[in-house]
Amino acid sequence: MIGPSRVAELDMPGAAIETTTSRPAQSYWNESWERLRHNPIGMAAGVLILIFGVVAILAPLFSAVLTHFQPQSVDLLATFKPPGGAHMLGTDELGRDTLTRLIWGGRVTLGVAFLTVGIALSAGTAVGMAAGYYGGWADDALMRFVDMVLAIPAIFLFILMSILIHPTPVTLALIIASVGWGNVARLVRGEVLSVKQRDFIMATRSIGARDVRVMIRHLLPNVLPVLIVAASLGVGQIILIEAALDFLGLGIQPPTASWGNMLTNAESYFYHSAWLVYFPGVMIFVTVLCSNIFGNAVRDAFDPRLKS
Amino acid sequence: MLAKYMARRFLASIVVVLGVTAITLALMKTTSGSYVPGIDLNPSLRPEDIARLRADLGLDRPGWQWYITWIWGVLHGDFGHSMIDGSTVTSHILDRLPNTIELTLTAIVIGVIIAIPVGVIGALRHGSKTDHTMTVVSVAGFAVPQFWMGLILILIFSVTLEQHGLPWLPSSGAYSAVNGGDFFDRVEHLILPATVLSFFYISTWSRFIRSSMLEVLSQDYIRTARAKGMSERRVVYLHGLRNALIPLITLIGLELPGLVSGGLVVEVVFGWPGIGKLAFERALQYDYTTVMGVTFFATLLVIAGNLLADVLYGVLDPRIRYG
Amino acid sequence: MSRDEDAADPGFAQFERFLEAWSRRDFLRRAGGAAAFMAFSGGIVEFLQACAGGGGSNNNTAGTPKKGGHVVEGNFTDIRTFNSMLSSDTASNQCIGLMFDGLTNQKKDGTIVPAVAESWKTSSDGLTYTFKLRSGLKWSDGQALTSDDVKFTYALAYDPAYKDFASPRRGDLSKYIKSIDTPDAQTVIITTTQVFAPFLASHGNYGILPKHVLGSMDAKALNTADFNNGPTVSNGAFKFVSWQKGQQVTMARNDNYWAGAPYLDQWIYKVLPDSVAVTNQLKTGEIDIGPIDPGQFDSLTGTSTVARSEFPVPSFNFYAYQLDPSKPAGPLFQDKAVRQALIYALDRNAMNQAIYFGHATAADSVEPPTSWAYKAKPQVLYNFDKAKAESMLDAAGWTKGSDGIRAKGGLKLKFTMITNAGNKQRESTLTYMQQAWSAIGVSATPSLIQFPQLVSQIVDIRTFDMFLVGFNWSVDPDESPLFHSRNTAPGGFNGAFFKNDQVDSILDQALVTLDQNKRKQLYYQFQDIMSDQVPAPILNFAHGIWGVNTRVQGTDFGPFNQYGLRPWNHNVWVTDGK
Repeated sequence: MIGPSRVAELDMPGAAIETTTSRPAQSYWNESWERLRHNPIGMAAGVLILIFGVVAILAPLFSAVLTHFQPQSVDLLATFKPPGGAHMLGTDELGRDTLTRLIWGGRVTLGVAFLTVGIALSAGTAVGMAAGYYGGWADDALMRFVDMVLAIPAIFLFILMSILIHPTPVTLALIIASVGWGNVARLVRGEVLSVKQRDFIMATRSIGARDVRVMIRHLLPNVLPVLIVAASLGVGQIILIEAALDFLGLGIQPPTASWGNMLTNAESYFYHSAWLVYFPGVMIFVTVLCSNIFGNAVRDAFDPRLKS
Repeated sequence: MLAKYMARRFLASIVVVLGVTAITLALMKTTSGSYVPGIDLNPSLRPEDIARLRADLGLDRPGWQWYITWIWGVLHGDFGHSMIDGSTVTSHILDRLPNTIELTLTAIVIGVIIAIPVGVIGALRHGSKTDHTMTVVSVAGFAVPQFWMGLILILIFSVTLEQHGLPWLPSSGAYSAVNGGDFFDRVEHLILPATVLSFFYISTWSRFIRSSMLEVLSQDYIRTARAKGMSERRVVYLHGLRNALIPLITLIGLELPGLVSGGLVVEVVFGWPGIGKLAFERALQYDYTTVMGVTFFATLLVIAGNLLADVLYGVLDPRIRYG
Repeated sequence: MSRDEDAADPGFAQFERFLEAWSRRDFLRRAGGAAAFMAFSGGIVEFLQACAGGGGSNNNTAGTPKKGGHVVEGNFTDIRTFNSMLSSDTASNQCIGLMFDGLTNQKKDGTIVPAVAESWKTSSDGLTYTFKLRSGLKWSDGQALTSDDVKFTYALAYDPAYKDFASPRRGDLSKYIKSIDTPDAQTVIITTTQVFAPFLASHGNYGILPKHVLGSMDAKALNTADFNNGPTVSNGAFKFVSWQKGQQVTMARNDNYWAGAPYLDQWIYKVLPDSVAVTNQLKTGEIDIGPIDPGQFDSLTGTSTVARSEFPVPSFNFYAYQLDPSKPAGPLFQDKAVRQALIYALDRNAMNQAIYFGHATAADSVEPPTSWAYKAKPQVLYNFDKAKAESMLDAAGWTKGSDGIRAKGGLKLKFTMITNAGNKQRESTLTYMQQAWSAIGVSATPSLIQFPQLVSQIVDIRTFDMFLVGFNWSVDPDESPLFHSRNTAPGGFNGAFFKNDQVDSILDQALVTLDQNKRKQLYYQFQDIMSDQVPAPILNFAHGIWGVNTRVQGTDFGPFNQYGLRPWNHNVWVTDGK
C-alpha cells in the first residue's frame, strides 16, 4: 500500500492458528471451507470477483459479441455520448465505447492485481521461509535486506522504476510487487519460526529429510492459510495502489485502458459527462470491496475463534 | 542485553540507510540520461553550457564518487542545495515537514476518535446488525480510491456549496492566500484533506480494534473478572479496552514512516505543501540532492518506526527477549 | 522561458516546456490539459473575443481605478528562482515579470515598448544598440537604478568573469555580445559581434538585477545567493514579501515603480494542483486569474464572476518523422510522398474539435499566425483526404500485405510514436493518429514516456521513430533551432535530422537581414518549402485562454502578454478594493 502498509500484517491473525499435527489436518481445511461456504456475504463477494475475472478473460469475446466495439476504436464524431443506444454506457472524449473499455480495463486492472499478488507471494514466501527455516546469518542477512526494501519510501521506487521500466501491465505488477513482497516475507518468516520449533519438524529433520522437502511438505501447508488471507485482501489493496499510480501518471499509460486511468482521465469532464467518472469508480469500489469482504470471510473461516 | 541489541540494531540501521540511499541514487543515475536538473534545456543552450552546468553539479562524475561526496556532506550535516531552485535541502524539508505533520496528526487523531468507539461497539455487539453495518461501512471506506474521494469532496464542499451561496471549504493549500495562516484559517483548510486521509485510518483501525477486542474479551482473565461479578462496563473498559488499545498504539507508531509517502495522494489532490508532494515532484524533476535528502530522512523514519514498534512489543509482551 | 514572452531567449524557440516541462502538469495526466494549455498554441488570425460571462477580462472600462486590494493568480507550478538571469521556466518568469522590469517590454501584439529604457536606437550597421534609461529610476529600497545595474545584469550571462554562474542565457549572450559600455548613468551601449535581427526582441527584456546587492558576490556564490529565493530589492511594479515554497509567492506594491505605484496592495501567485483546480478556484473566487484548459472551458460557462479571454498564441503542436537514414525508422520516411500521404490521412479539423474542444486551429504553415511573417496559404495545403493518402502510398510503391500493413521492399510501414506522459491532448492525438493511419494500412503504436526521456530522445539519443511535441515561439519568426541542419548536432532541437541546403541558407540570411519586408519574403519562401517537405508537420495552432474574475480590471492578456511580460501589471485594480 502506498500508505501505511504494515497494518495488513498486524491485522492478520493467521499467526494465531494453532495446530498440533504435522500439517493442518484435512479436517481443518474442510471445516474452514464449510465455514466460508456458510458465509453468504463472503461467498457472494468471492463469486462476484470470479465473474469479473471471467469477463476480463473473455474480453475479446465480449467486445465482438456484446458491445461491437474495440477498446481503441476512436470516433471523433461521437464523443461524450451519454449512456444508451449503441453505446450502452456512453462514450468518452475520443468517442470510445465506455463499456468496452471497462471490460478491457478490467482485464488490465485485475490482471495487474492478480499478477502482483502472485509475484509478491511467491517471492515473499521463498525468502521468508528460507530466513525462518535456516535462521542464523542467513536469517539476519535476508531480513536486513527486507528491512532495506521496506525502508525505501515506496513512492520513490514507483516513480523511478516507472521511468526506468516503461509501465506495462506486467512491468507494473513487477514494480508493485517489488515493494509488496517484503511484508509477505516477514509474515511467512514469523509463521515458520513458530512452526519449526514443534516436535514434528524436529523429528522430520532428525531423520535426515532434505530441507526443501521439509519446507514444501511441512512448512508450506502451515503457512498457506496466512498466504490465502493475504492474497484475498491483497487484490483489493493492489487495485487501489494501481489506481493511485495511474492518478499520479506513473501507472498504466494510455491508450491502454485500466480502471484507474479511466477514472483519472474522466475527472476533467466531470461537469458535463459524469458517467465517465461513475462507471470506473464503481468498478474499482465494488471490486476492492468484494476483495476485502472475501478476504475477511476467508480469515474468519480459517480462524473460527474470532467468529464464534 | 538490551544495550547489545540496540547496538546491533544501530549498526544494521546504518547499513540500511546506506543501502537505500545508494539504491535511490543508482536508480536516478540510470534513468536520468543526459538530463541536467534545474536547467530547462532551451535552444539557446549550447552543448558546452550543458557540460559546464553538469560539471558544476558534479553529475559528470561517476555515481559512486558523487555518493561519497554526498555522504561526506551528510556526515557534516550538509545535505546540499536543491538542484532545481538552489535552496538548501534542509530548508525544503523543514518548510514542508510541519505541514505534513499537521495533516497526518490531525488525520490520526480523527481516526482514533472515530475508530475506537466504532471498533468497541462492533466487538460488544458482534454479529448484530449494528456490527454488520459498521463492518460494511468501514470496509467500504477502505475501498474508495483516495484521490477520487478527495475530488468528489472538493466538488461537493467547495464548488457546489459556493455556487449555491452556502458556506464552503477551501479546496487547496494549507492556508488562505491572503492574510491566511491564523488558527481557524488553517483548520478550515485542514478539514477536507484530513477527512480523506482519516478514512483510511478509521477503516483499518476500527476493524483492528474490533478484532483485538473480541480476542481480549475471550481471554480467561476477562471471564474471571466477569465471574468475580465485576460490572460489564468495568470489564469492558478497564480490562478489555485497555488491553485492546495497546496494540493500537504500536500500530500508530508504525504510521511514522507513512509520514512521507502515506499522505502523498492526498497532498497532491489538495495541493497540500507537504513533504510527500515535495518528494514526488522533485523525483520527477531529478532533483538529486532533494530526493536523496528526503529519502535519507524517510528511511530514518522507517527505521525509527520499526524500532519503536519492536521496543513497544517488548515492553508490552514480556515474553519477548532481545538477544 | 517561453519565448513568447519571457522571451528573451534568443534561441527563440523554446522547447516548449523544456522549460517548464518539469512542471508537474506535464507529469500528472490529470493535469493533462494544463500542459496542453501552455504548449498549446494559438492559431487563428481572428481574435476571439472574450466569451460569455460578461465583462471580458481584457477591459479597462468599468469605472475609475481604485487603490487597494489584492489579486490572487493561480497556476500549476511552483517557481524556482527570482533571478532573471537564472530562470528559464514560465512560473519563475511570471513572478520575475511582476517584480523586475527589463530595458524593454512587449505589448500583447509583440510590439516592443519602453520599460527601464525610455528609448533606444540601433546603429546603421545593426551592430550597436544604445539605450537611454529613464531619469530618476529607483530600486524599491530607494537606491538609484543606473546603467551600472544594466551592465552588471548582462555581464552575468556574457562576461567570462562570471562563467561559473549557471545562467541558461550564457550560450547566446556570450556569442552575440561583444561589449557593454556605460558612458553615463543613464546610457547603456551594447555592441554585438554580428548582425542578429532578433536581438532586441529576444534579449532586451531580462529583469534588471541590483548591482548594489549582488555586485560583491562571485559567480559561484551568486548561484545560491539568498536573493534568488527572496529578492530584497526590486524595480518592477511589485516587491517581494514572501515565498512559501509549494504554496504561494506574496508580492506587495512597489511605491518606487517608475510608472507610479500600482493600484493593488498585493499580488499573490498561488500554486495549484492542476488545471481542474484552477477552474474550480476561479469559480469559488479563491483565485482571480488563471489559465484555463480547453477541456475545462465549458465548465465555466455558467459562472458569471469569471470572464474568459481567448486568443491565438505563438506556438504549435507538431509531430516529427525520423529522417536519419541510419536509424531503424529512417528508411520509412525518406520519401516525401510518405510524409505527405500521412498528413492527408489526418482529419485535423475534427481533431481540433474533439481533442482541443474547438480551441485550436488547424495549421497549414510552420509559422504561427501571430507572427508578422505568417503566410496563411503556403504552397502545399493538406486537407483531409483519405483516398488521396492511399493512392499516394500506392503510387510510391507501399502496398498492403496480407496483414493489411503496407510494405515496400520487405520494409513494413510500421513504427512507434512517442510523446510525454501526462499531457492529455497529446495522448489523445496519438490515439487518434493510430486509428487514422491504421485505416490506410499504416501501423503506428503510441508510447508515452516521461518528459526527461522525451527530451533525451529528441536532442540526444534520437532512436525514436516519430515524436509528438509542442513548441512555443517568440515574436521573431526565426525557426532555425527546429529546422536548420546545424541543429542536428547533439544537443540541438532538430532531432528529426532535417537537412535542406535551401532552408539553411534562407534561415541564415533572414537572421542577418534587418529590413523586415525582406525578411518576410525570405520566411514566405521558407514556409513554402516546408509545406512541401513536411519533415515535421504542424498539427495545429492552439489558443491561450485566461479566466479573470470580473472584479479585476485592467488586465490585457494577449498572444505576447501571458506570463512574464505584461506591461500592464501596475494598471490592474479591483472594483471591490479587497
